[in-house]
Amino acid sequence: MLDENALPNISALIGSAEQGDKAATEVLFGSLYAELHRMAKRELAKRDGFVTISATTLLHEAYLDMSAREGKSFPDRARFMGYAARVMRTLIIDHARERQAQKRGGLFEITSIETKEIENPVDASEVARIGDALDELGKIEPVLAEIVDLKFFCGLSFTEIAALRSVSERTIQRNWERARLYLHRQISTDLPA
Amino acid sequence: MSTLSPEQWRALAPYLDQALEMDETQRSAWLSALAGEKPTLAAQLSPLLAEHARLAKVGFMDANPAVPQFSRQGLAGQVVGAYTLVSPIGQGGMGTVWLAKRNDGRFERRVAVKFLNQALVCGTNEERFKREGNILGRLKHPHIAELVDAGVSASGFPYIVLEYVEGDPITRYSDLQKLNIQDRIRLFLDVASAVAHAHANLIVHRDLKPSNVLVSKGGQVKLLDFGIAKLIETEDSENALTALTAPGGQVLTPEFAAPEQIAGAPVTTATDVYALGVLLYLLLTGQHPAGPSLRSPAQLVRAIVDTEPQRLSEIVTAAHADPKTVTDNAAQRTTTPDKLQRLLRGDLDPIVGKSLKKDPRERYASVTEFADDLRRYLNHEPISARPDTFAYRARKFIRRNRVPVSLAGLALAALVVGLAGTLIQARKAEQQRDSAFRERDRANRITTFMTDMFKTSDPSEAHGNSVTAREILDKAATQIDTGLSNDPAEQARMMYVMGQVYDSLGLMAKGRSLLERAVDLQQKMLGPEAPETLTSKSLLSVILLEQNNYAEAERLQSETLAARRRVLGLEHPDTVRSMSRLAGVYSWQGRNSEAEELEREALAIDRRVLGPEHPETLMLTNSLVAIYNAAEDSAHYEEAEKLQLDAFAAERRVFGPEHPDTLNAMYNMAALLRLEGRYGESERVYREMLPVLGRVLGPEHSDTLSLRNNLTIVLAKQGRYQEAEQLYRETRVIQQRVFGPNDSNAANSTYNLACLAAVQGHRDQALSLLAEALHHGLSPHTGVNMERDEDLKSLLGDPRFTALVAQGKKVAAAAQAPN
Repeated sequence: MLDENALPNISALIGSAEQGDKAATEVLFGSLYAELHRMAKRELAKRDGFVTISATTLLHEAYLDMSAREGKSFPDRARFMGYAARVMRTLIIDHARERQAQKRGGLFEITSIETKEIENPVDASEVARIGDALDELGKIEPVLAEIVDLKFFCGLSFTEIAALRSVSERTIQRNWERARLYLHRQISTDLPA
Repeated sequence: MSTLSPEQWRALAPYLDQALEMDETQRSAWLSALAGEKPTLAAQLSPLLAEHARLAKVGFMDANPAVPQFSRQGLAGQVVGAYTLVSPIGQGGMGTVWLAKRNDGRFERRVAVKFLNQALVCGTNEERFKREGNILGRLKHPHIAELVDAGVSASGFPYIVLEYVEGDPITRYSDLQKLNIQDRIRLFLDVASAVAHAHANLIVHRDLKPSNVLVSKGGQVKLLDFGIAKLIETEDSENALTALTAPGGQVLTPEFAAPEQIAGAPVTTATDVYALGVLLYLLLTGQHPAGPSLRSPAQLVRAIVDTEPQRLSEIVTAAHADPKTVTDNAAQRTTTPDKLQRLLRGDLDPIVGKSLKKDPRERYASVTEFADDLRRYLNHEPISARPDTFAYRARKFIRRNRVPVSLAGLALAALVVGLAGTLIQARKAEQQRDSAFRERDRANRITTFMTDMFKTSDPSEAHGNSVTAREILDKAATQIDTGLSNDPAEQARMMYVMGQVYDSLGLMAKGRSLLERAVDLQQKMLGPEAPETLTSKSLLSVILLEQNNYAEAERLQSETLAARRRVLGLEHPDTVRSMSRLAGVYSWQGRNSEAEELEREALAIDRRVLGPEHPETLMLTNSLVAIYNAAEDSAHYEEAEKLQLDAFAAERRVFGPEHPDTLNAMYNMAALLRLEGRYGESERVYREMLPVLGRVLGPEHSDTLSLRNNLTIVLAKQGRYQEAEQLYRETRVIQQRVFGPNDSNAANSTYNLACLAAVQGHRDQALSLLAEALHHGLSPHTGVNMERDEDLKSLLGDPRFTALVAQGKKVAAAAQAPN
């Protein structure tokens, strides 16, 4: 069992990260990672082996959980989501890599939530490559990368993201399409023609 | 194309934003304008925009990767409600089952946690699931595995927690323990008591099958999954669980599903009665009622919905089952196949038969009634199920035993048609009836008629045989209205005769409507108590009885009897016949002692008045035997057997061994024995008759050939294939010589030879014989039903057989087409 008291103070870490504290940023991401991982495990344990919980649910629950724990000083939802979504990306990509490495037997499996037929299903190796391309995009246009985190990795809708970012839905959608184009361009050229 | 450098991307980004705001037409105009100004940029943008369109079309990254998910092994140690999962037990149609134990340490209890598959719960709401889980939780019975808890996870996935039961499915347990028939029934009664308890609480199981009925090492029965099928059904109606007639189950196991479940008709407690019937059938015989070789779901469904199950006593020694299965099944019941057959033959056949009726209304009205009959069986008391066996058929037979009158009617009908249906000729024909009846060519016709009648009562035979007789009748029936309309008295008499013949052909509805009209006319013309009116009324009662309209049948026959006593006297043969018929009505209703008393009284009068060897007396003797048989009262068993033998001996003496009546009686007896599954005895009678028929009618007469055919069937039923084949081939040679190479009789023999080959596994031979039969005049009805023939089952799936089936249908269609 984790000792609740030993949990890092997320709001303090976010504060330091926003002041430009590089070490604090790393600790923040590490902590959020551990936190989300723990929560995913807990949530899934509460359910059963056939259930896929959405990343969105996980993030919302993480936010509620952490803000309840840390009180009034906890950052607003939009700020938290920005960090958490990036962590979620890492979490998912790590699982994707893990799964690629082990194929079977791992504790987690990455599956697609959508069950409708998709001509371009997102498989584990593709997820990992998207992750790499996204890191590059983050350097050029961090806003676009964050939208991908929220939309693709966390499953938020355009409406939700628009509300979080206080911009129009249309803008979010246009940015998403541009980001998607960039990512596809980058990962397609990795593939043999 | 190469990857984009950050610089290229930054340069393109604003243009992309702009382009993505436009629709298709705007964009291409804009792009060509841009190509004039900034050709390099436009050249880079153009493929990117095309790529964008493609991505939108295929939905690139529309699906989320997300969701870390536990693999199954990972579930061990996880917590569900108050329980910790220990290990997976199994995976079924409904979901995965885990062994779990209580995790609060308050008390040690092992449970089974059943996760219900996502696909099955759409439409289930949490409230309803919990509510219904609660109802099921209140179902407490020593033989029902308790439902401990039911819940829905936060993400909407339901699970149930059941009492953990360690044990084997009831069928396996019974085989391992080599339980005998009685012990199997006792075990089954535990199952029935659990189901009855649930029904009393308005809960239908809906998915009863061996894997849901476990028996612990100590012999304790536990039923699993009560009401679960209902629980996970899509919510169709608000009062779903309490309504026992809610729309049919979405979750079912085809092998154990009742016809109404497959048809999507309402599911009721009768559905469980059926499933219990299947379970008992399996327990007693080791075989499934739908037959031994269920190849495809489609076949199974057809078998459940259409095919009457083979009787228990037949299937345990069925020729198509392989001998090892037959002996193994018997050994697992600590008996031999023959003894097993005898054990199942008496009461168990009708009991299981009643539970497996296609129509839910014909089954036991409740599980308790079903169980009561089984208890009566164990206690050697009379059962309530209408015996679908000897007695039942004996009753039918007794009705048919009265056919000679009808046969005269048929002869008359034939004459009516033959002589253009004029009134005078009909009258003449009727006057000639009795003498004509005794003539040989009449006798031949009658024997043919009897043969056809029995053929049509045998489901394996074509119904086409009775067509000719029926055509004659139908023609004659129309002539009653047209040709005789100016003489109502004659019209009524003809209606009576025709009604009688329709009745003997089993066409009750037609017979009934004719007789109703006859009674009506006669009452008006002759008065309600005129002998002729009463004769029609008496027969109408018989038909109503056959239509199971007991009350009306009883009313009419009682009235007739009272009137005849007044008009004709207490000892007139017609009065006595009414007594006998009324006794029949009692017998059909199970009022056995009343029936026996009245029939004995009637017989005593006829014996005294007409003499012990009068045909009428002999007929009543047969009826009394049938009533004894129907009562299944062992007290009268010896008497019945003696009466029957005496009557038969008297018939032979009175009519002579070669008289058509005697031969008919013998023929019928042999047919009955065959229907009864007493093939050895049936064979003896056929063999005794064969030389007589050969002498009287000649070896090439169609009736002699029919008899040979029946003898062959009996041989095949006993697994004596070589003898059967030999006989078929001899018969076929005669048929071909007498009737020509393309006659349906010979073709049917060829077909029968194919069946013999098929049941012996000689596939190629069977196929070539079938082709031969089809090419040489096989009757269309046989051809069209080929794929349903039990004996040809082994050929199903063979493309050559499929082609032959198609050809058979084509031939039948051509035969039906008007030319």
